[in-house]
Amino acid sequence: MTPKNVLNYSYYPGCSLHASAIEFDASTRGLFKTLRIGLHEVPDWLCCGATPAHNVDELLSLSLCAKNLELSGKVEGDLAVACAACFSRLKTAQHKLAENGEKRRQVEQAIDAPVQLGKPVKHLLEIVARDFGLERLAAAVRKPLAGLKVACYYGCLLTRPPEVSELDDSEAPTIMERVIAAAGAETVAWSHRMECCGANFTLSRPGVVIKLSGDILASAKAAGADCLMVACPLCHGNLDIRQQEIEEASGERYNLPVFYVTQLLGLACGVAAGKLGFESMIVSPAGLLKEKQLL
Amino acid sequence: MKNTKMHLSTRTMNLDFVRKVEALSGSSVRRCFQCGKCSAGCPMRSFMEHPPNRIVRLLQLGQYERVLAGRSIWYCASCETCSTRCPNKVDLAAIMDALRKCSWDAKGPSKESYVQLANRLFIDNIRSYGRQYEMRLGAVFNIKSGQFLKDLMLGPKLLSKGKLKVFQQKNRNIAEVEKIFSRIEEMRRKGEAP
Ligand code: SF4
Ligand code: SF4
Repeated sequence: MTPKNVLNYSYYPGCSLHASAIEFDASTRGLFKTLRIGLHEVPDWLCCGATPAHNVDELLSLSLCAKNLELSGKVEGDLAVACAACFSRLKTAQHKLAENGEKRRQVEQAIDAPVQLGKPVKHLLEIVARDFGLERLAAAVRKPLAGLKVACYYGCLLTRPPEVSELDDSEAPTIMERVIAAAGAETVAWSHRMECCGANFTLSRPGVVIKLSGDILASAKAAGADCLMVACPLCHGNLDIRQQEIEEASGERYNLPVFYVTQLLGLACGVAAGKLGFESMIVSPAGLLKEKQLL
Repeated sequence: MKNTKMHLSTRTMNLDFVRKVEALSGSSVRRCFQCGKCSAGCPMRSFMEHPPNRIVRLLQLGQYERVLAGRSIWYCASCETCSTRCPNKVDLAAIMDALRKCSWDAKGPSKESYVQLANRLFIDNIRSYGRQYEMRLGAVFNIKSGQFLKDLMLGPKLLSKGKLKVFQQKNRNIAEVEKIFSRIEEMRRKGEAP
C-alpha cells in the first residue's frame, strides 16, 4: 500500500514545464512524491498568457488567468505553481480582479462565468518552506548537498510586487537560500540575485539577454558559486541555453550549471538522479555533481 | 531626439492621451514627484533614451509624441522593479504596457517593436492551440521578422535534449479559448471594453 500524502494540491504546470522546462516538471513531481505531497494536475488548463499577453492585451491576460482559476476549482487543494511567470500572472489576476470591480465585470463577460478568486495560489517554494516546513524538509534529506556552493537567483517575478506575490521581502528575500540550506548546501552572497535576465527578449533581442544574463553569470562566478538555482523557465533558458553564446561574446568561461530548485532538493531527498532531468540541461552538471560526490 | 530642446506646446500636449494611458493602466501619472527611484533600478535603463521617470514626466506634460517616438517602451522588460519601488505607487510597469498598446494601435509594427511581434505570435499560439508551441513560435518569428537563420544552431541542441516539442500540446478546452478571444473582440466592437 502506498503511504498517504501529508499534503495535497491542485497543480498548474504551465506550458514551459511540458516543453522547454521538462526537467522542472519531472523534478517537481519526483520531489513532491518523495515528500508525500500530492499534486493533481488541473485538467486541460490553458496557457496563462505569461508576459506577452499583458503586453498586448490586459483584458485577455486577466481572462485567461480567470479561466484557469475556474478550471482549478475542479481539483481539490490550494493551487501549486512551479513557474515564476505563471505564478506571477495568476496572482496578479487574483489581485487586480479582487480590487477592480469594473475589470472583474469585463472578465466575467469574457469568460461567461463568475470569477472565482477563493483558491490560494502558491509557489512551490512557499509550499516547501511554509506548508511542509523547513524542519520536515531537513528531516527528509538523505544526501546533504554538503560543499555545493549555490547562487540563488530570484529574477523579477517571484517577489514583485510584494503585495501581489506575498512570497517574501521584495528587496531582500531569503526563501530560496533557506530552502536550499535545509538541504545542506552552502549559499553565496552575491549582487545579482534579483537583477533581470532579459526575460521576454529571448526571441526578439538576444543581444539584450546576452548582456544582462552575462552580468548575472559573472556576478555568480565572482562570488565563488559552483552553480545557480532558479525557479523560472525563462531565467533558466536565458542562463543555461544561452550560456555558451554569452561565453563566446564575453570571452569568459563560466561553466555554471543552472538547476531548478526542485532538481537540487530532489537530489538531496533521494529522488533517483534519472528522474531529475539532469541530462536535459545544456550546461552539464555531471562533472560538478561527481566532484562533490553527489552523483 | 535625445539632445533636442523640448518646447511645450498645445500641439504636442495631449491630455486625452494621458487619460487613456491612465485608464488602460489603472495608474495615475500625476502622483509622480520625480524622485528617480524607478530609473535607478531599471535593468533596461541603458537601452532606453528616456528613462522611466522621464516617461512619466513627459506624460504629465502631455508630450505624447515624444513618449511614443523612439525605443524606450519597447525595451522595458516588464520586470516590475519600478512599480515595486515607487514611493508614490505609480504603476510604471502597467503604464509601459498601456503605452505599448497605444503605440501599436496607432503606428503598427516597427523594427523597434520586434518584441511585440513575438508577443503577438505567442498570443496567436494560445488562440490556435490553447497552450504554447515553442517550436512554432521561434520559426514563425524568424520568418516574420526576416531573420531566417537566427538561432539556427539552438534548434537541434534543444531538440536533442527533448526541450522542443515537434507537435503541439493537445487541449480539450480549445473551443473555450476561442470563445474568450471572440467575446473580447465583440466587447471591443461594442465599446464595452478598453
Ligand atoms: S519612482 Fe515613482 S515617484 Fe519616483 S520618479 Fe519614478 S514614478 Fe516618479
Ligand atoms: S518594468 Fe520596465 S521600466 Fe520598470 S524597471 Fe522593469 S524594465 Fe524598467
